[in-house]
Amino acid sequence: MNKYIRTSLAGLLTSTMITGAAFAAGTHPTTGEALADDQTFTYRILDEHSSVDPQVVEDVSGAEIVRDLFEGLMNQDEDGNLVPGVATSFTTNDAKDVYTFTLRDNAKWSNGDPVTAGDFVYAWKRAVDPALSSPYAWYMELMSIENASEIIAGEKPVDDLAVKAIDDHTLEVKLSAPLSYFPQMTTHATTFPAPQKVIEEFGDAWTKPGNIVSNGAYVLTEHLPQERSVRERNEMYWDNDNTIIEKVVALVINDENVALTRYLAGELDRTEVPAGQFPRLQKEHPEEAISFPRLCNYYYTFNLSEGGPEAFKDPNVRQALSLAVDRKIITENIMAGGQPQAYTFAPEATAGFTVPDVEMASMSQAERDELAKELLAEAGYGADNPLSFEMVYNTSEAHKKVAVALSQMWKQKLGVNAELANMEWKVFLEERGNQNFDLARGAWCGDYNEASTFLDLLQSESGYNDGKYNNAKVDELLASAKTADDAAPLYTEVERIIAQETPVIPIYHYAGVYMMDSDVGNWPVNNVEQNWYSKNLYKTAE
Amino acid sequence: MLAYIIRRLLVAVPTILLLIVASFFLMHFAPGGPFTSERPLPPAVLANIEARYGLDQPLWKQLWDYLYNIVVHFDFGPSFKFKDRDVNDIIAQGFPISLTYGSLSFLFATTIGVGLGIAAAIKHNSWIDYFAVGLGIAAQALPNFIMGPILILTFTLWLGWLPGGGWNGGQWPYLIMPVIALATSYIGSIARITRSSMLEVLNSNFIRTARAKGLPTRTVIWRHALKPTLLPVVSYLGPVFVYVLTGSVFVDIYFSTGGLGQAYVGSALSRDYAVLLGVTILYGALTVIVNLLTDLAYAWFDPKIRY
Repeated sequence: MNKYIRTSLAGLLTSTMITGAAFAAGTHPTTGEALADDQTFTYRILDEHSSVDPQVVEDVSGAEIVRDLFEGLMNQDEDGNLVPGVATSFTTNDAKDVYTFTLRDNAKWSNGDPVTAGDFVYAWKRAVDPALSSPYAWYMELMSIENASEIIAGEKPVDDLAVKAIDDHTLEVKLSAPLSYFPQMTTHATTFPAPQKVIEEFGDAWTKPGNIVSNGAYVLTEHLPQERSVRERNEMYWDNDNTIIEKVVALVINDENVALTRYLAGELDRTEVPAGQFPRLQKEHPEEAISFPRLCNYYYTFNLSEGGPEAFKDPNVRQALSLAVDRKIITENIMAGGQPQAYTFAPEATAGFTVPDVEMASMSQAERDELAKELLAEAGYGADNPLSFEMVYNTSEAHKKVAVALSQMWKQKLGVNAELANMEWKVFLEERGNQNFDLARGAWCGDYNEASTFLDLLQSESGYNDGKYNNAKVDELLASAKTADDAAPLYTEVERIIAQETPVIPIYHYAGVYMMDSDVGNWPVNNVEQNWYSKNLYKTAE
Repeated sequence: MLAYIIRRLLVAVPTILLLIVASFFLMHFAPGGPFTSERPLPPAVLANIEARYGLDQPLWKQLWDYLYNIVVHFDFGPSFKFKDRDVNDIIAQGFPISLTYGSLSFLFATTIGVGLGIAAAIKHNSWIDYFAVGLGIAAQALPNFIMGPILILTFTLWLGWLPGGGWNGGQWPYLIMPVIALATSYIGSIARITRSSMLEVLNSNFIRTARAKGLPTRTVIWRHALKPTLLPVVSYLGPVFVYVLTGSVFVDIYFSTGGLGQAYVGSALSRDYAVLLGVTILYGALTVIVNLLTDLAYAWFDPKIRY
């Protein structure tokens, strides 16, 4: 890894030297495409971002902005691989519980100050500081940094966090447990550096344009809440010579259909495609409608807790309901955006994850329906004793369509009465979290690109395991995966157990379904986490 | 008159206090809280956040602190969702926007509505009447959540004349569609009320007297008929004025205007308690003030009313 990073860095530096002149001529340094005069990238965000403070931000649109404004130790490339950020390299001990990062000496804040190891130490301590009470403080616990949990719980002082600046360009971190993917976790906003002087000067208002100082490829120049935010090239950024996009504008447009109209009117370079509209848009705008796999799943979970329905305690019933779901109809006729059908909990796109041969996946829908009827009859349900339950989902047009389709499939094929109930988001979370449901909708997007980010949801002690599925073997496999050199076979085994026991009904895996102006170059469609950096994009001349 | 105004304002204080207390408890009794999320926070993290915002205190203490900060510091509290903004910031940013396009819509709807109504009444049973009534009904059948998409499709996508959304400091190209979308359905109601009221007035005895003494029609309408005609219109306009400011959530959603309507609904959905309460108080105070102004306007329109 170490060597690889050094080589790619050398490559980067060389390309900087060669390309200095190429921009003046208006062509892309590597592809040779003619570049547009106006290098402004405008995209839609669903809702106002919560914050652009790296240690505080908790929503996706905010994290996208923060990734442009700040730069952490490591970045991701177009395919999601790790590439140098502020750190040029790192080393670890044999036990993999001490990491030492070497920081580049030309990294600067937008006010010209050098970026030092101390800025990271300050930021990481800030993230766990109860006084800041960051909603993402748990991320530092997840990174297993020594004393993080105790500091958050108020049992130890903030200065006990085991992160140390050996000198201005060397950062050392001690972990409480070995973690082989620790460097991958430093691409997350919570770990980005923070400018101590500025924060102490302005307090909570330090993130406002004019006050904010950042070390990424862009600086925040304008923010009109609920309307738009604008970030512009940071001249002080160490790799500024290779940045092509001058200005990035994020427009808040709550309604996705309005966003699509504004995209079609030429006001936006990128927007999401509303459910069901992809086939039409693809026909009308073949070069602009794109779909690619994402790291998220969509499922229904059975309530397997003590208070849950008796019927669902029988695996045959659960399996029958899962078998009778015609996933093709849902992905092709309802969502219609190129979403893959799901027969496993973790998406196939997950790195290092081998999808097991789940029996159901290889059957035809007619065979599945036949088996479903048999299993349900075996469990004692039929015309004279129909299975009835309530299925809950949070209020949304797309969720409703899927729920209606599911209940119809079950009604027609199995004579099952599934009653639909929708709830407002916060009520839904509360009810699902308290096991006040029979069958509930769920969806999960990976926090990092590794199967455990999904499968941990089915671990019996997990706070996210709303169905209260409890299988000792699954727990054991997941525990050994944490330290295994190659966890892939263990994850495959977990999926095999899940397929047999069906604690959840996987329906489909997400796709990123966008309208993207064909002028936009280098959008990272292969980065399944969709961690994109404006500095890597460019716009070609029409 | 002055005594009346003072009396009304004094009554407003307990009214708003009651509003605050009722909203406060309703809000806290709704399931879920500001930090309920799909990824439940670990207890230690949640405890730190609750301590920071005082949510670990008993409800009565929270209510007391809230009221104390308003009265003593005029501080309506922090936003739980937007970390670098407090309620005062959010209102200071969103309210002028809502006020601008709301007032313009109100003026637009009133001018067109009253004009149509009067024209229809004067030319009773003529083509103008039918046209005005038809237009009024059509407008009333187009609430702002229908008008929004229609306008954007027409003027942004097909004709390409107007930007599809944004505020840009309230420049006129950004104002046109929000104002029309919000005003349309009120034009219909205002025209209908004005027309029937005017017809009634025109058939009354004092108008017959005015005509009999030989006054020209124009003078009869402007000097004698208009004021009594507008009395029922004014009682309708009072609530409408508050409503164009509060009911503008669709305008904010469709046109990304950044007004307070979206912040209000958004805060209810995300359980951003202080923002929700702050905007509720603002709208409550606004309702009280506008009601008072409406009542005072009655006295001007109708000499029979005295306070």
